Amino acid sequence: MSPRIVVAGYDARGTGAAAAVAREMADSIGGAVDVVVLVPSAIPGTVEAFVEEAGLAGRAERVVAYELPPGHAYSGVTVADALVDAAAGNDVSAVVLADGPFAREAAARTAVRLDGACASMCSTVEAVAGNLVSVTRPAYGGVALAHLTLKASPAVVVLAPGGASAGTATGGAAPAVERKALTVSEVAGRVTVLDETPVVKTCDLEHAKVVVSVGRGFAKPADLEIIDDLVGLLDAEVGCSRPIAEDFKWLAKEHLVGLTGATVTPDLYLALGISGQVQHLAGIKGAKIVAAVNSDGRSPILKNADYALVGDLYKVVPALTEHLRKRKANGGAGG
Amino acid sequence: MRIIVCAKHVFDSTEVRFNEDTKELLTVNVPVKISDYDRNALEAAVALKEAGDDVTVEVIMSGGQAALKTLKEAVAMGADKGYLLEGGWETAFDPMLSMRVLARAIEAIGGADLVLCGLVSEDGYNGLTPPAVAELLGVPYLAPVVNLSADDDTVTATMDLGDVLQTVRAPFPCVLGIDSSMNVPRLPTVLQVMKVKSDRVATLSLEDLGLPATALATEFSTVTLDRLESGAAPRKALIIEGSPEEAVPSLVTALEREGVLA
Repeated sequence: MSPRIVVAGYDARGTGAAAAVAREMADSIGGAVDVVVLVPSAIPGTVEAFVEEAGLAGRAERVVAYELPPGHAYSGVTVADALVDAAAGNDVSAVVLADGPFAREAAARTAVRLDGACASMCSTVEAVAGNLVSVTRPAYGGVALAHLTLKASPAVVVLAPGGASAGTATGGAAPAVERKALTVSEVAGRVTVLDETPVVKTCDLEHAKVVVSVGRGFAKPADLEIIDDLVGLLDAEVGCSRPIAEDFKWLAKEHLVGLTGATVTPDLYLALGISGQVQHLAGIKGAKIVAAVNSDGRSPILKNADYALVGDLYKVVPALTEHLRKRKANGGAGG
Repeated sequence: MRIIVCAKHVFDSTEVRFNEDTKELLTVNVPVKISDYDRNALEAAVALKEAGDDVTVEVIMSGGQAALKTLKEAVAMGADKGYLLEGGWETAFDPMLSMRVLARAIEAIGGADLVLCGLVSEDGYNGLTPPAVAELLGVPYLAPVVNLSADDDTVTATMDLGDVLQTVRAPFPCVLGIDSSMNVPRLPTVLQVMKVKSDRVATLSLEDLGLPATALATEFSTVTLDRLESGAAPRKALIIEGSPEEAVPSLVTALEREGVLA
């Protein structure tokens, strides 16, 4: 029996990214990839449309579409139920999940039931000999990167948020689609959904080309206004460090960049008054260029930026705004 | 209502450094504390205690004897009793091992109606141990919780799922992962911490939990740490000197050269 990698994700994008990671693992051990999807609640259209959108052709041999019974929704328990069912009777070396709502719960429950190992925030995942899986993930908030071997099998891994890109679909054979009724654990039925309120997103940090990010260098919330024109000139999204979103709550959590917030990959990340704690730096590793303004010459951001200005952001931000305004009026570069 | 909070004694993650030469984390003289998210869980538990009648809050603190002061600080936030986990907490990378120890500890002190945990820990950031405990106990896991209330036998929680706020109700028992945005944890005074008498803290040894250290190291261990490398991304670290009037044009020129200004 050839080893299998089982995949699940919250949406098509995540599922495609997880399947791409699983494909590489499977190829290295001569295995096959099974993708688990939950219908109808998790998928707006048909399973075939989902397979297309997630780019699963060439990445997965089999897609198992589990029909949720009436009254049940996508949850940590139901995803674990599907993963465990898909694993039954197969030689499963690994289960790969894209991060997202319920992903870590689904992973933890699956690992407990299959008596495996479990790791989250994995930036790399590799299948190695003898059903072992090695991963890299942050240690102590990103101060270090830990190389781990998951020695209990199967290894259940959750990819780093935004860390795995779906890449371009490789093409190849479309996976076989199977449909199955999902047998749901009793514990899922204990939770009753009373209300769902959509959260209106006002920013899209993950896909931003420029991010202007604010930290504790700002003395009071009203002062954040001084970045407005700069943000407009750079066509940027606004990010922030943890104290701003979590301690002071000056900005909504959707603006938070870092280990517990968004992982960003802009061309330019402009850090204003951000000291550069490791949890924050962990979220900006993928930025092409990091520029920083900080009044503290010993602040860690200075060593972790490409370009840094040591100075008072209340003076630098207006000067930078004015300079960019003139540059724009003069038609861009060279202004 | 019985509430158990699972908390972790950690080094202050903003002070831990990585030694490039020895490839080790430098923790000597680094301050220790209650893991940030666990303080949110403690605050949520104490708020439930203040809002209801006949609510008890107990804390299980991972971290061995070195964590005694941290445990007292947690108890001083308003808990009735604290338990120190003497062993089984040493790795931040093996949630499958941690959950066995915690689940046994929860059972050993009589179980709970609600188990409150921080969403993630400050050292591991796994977010896996609380749901694994829920699976082992056979109960629902609700997370990330941003709003919470409870009556005699059910809990109502709002979870921030990113694109939707979902409010759910579940009967006891339940495990909850508390989000840091839910509350602002109270800070006990030095005097309050000192006043936590020793009869309000107890130690749970691995033997008490029926988990001999040898079994933890062998049959329950699922992960090996092979090595650490620096977590920092390589950056140019160029300081642009001068007054804002001088430095700003230099910065803009540099960014243009990098091709990152439209």
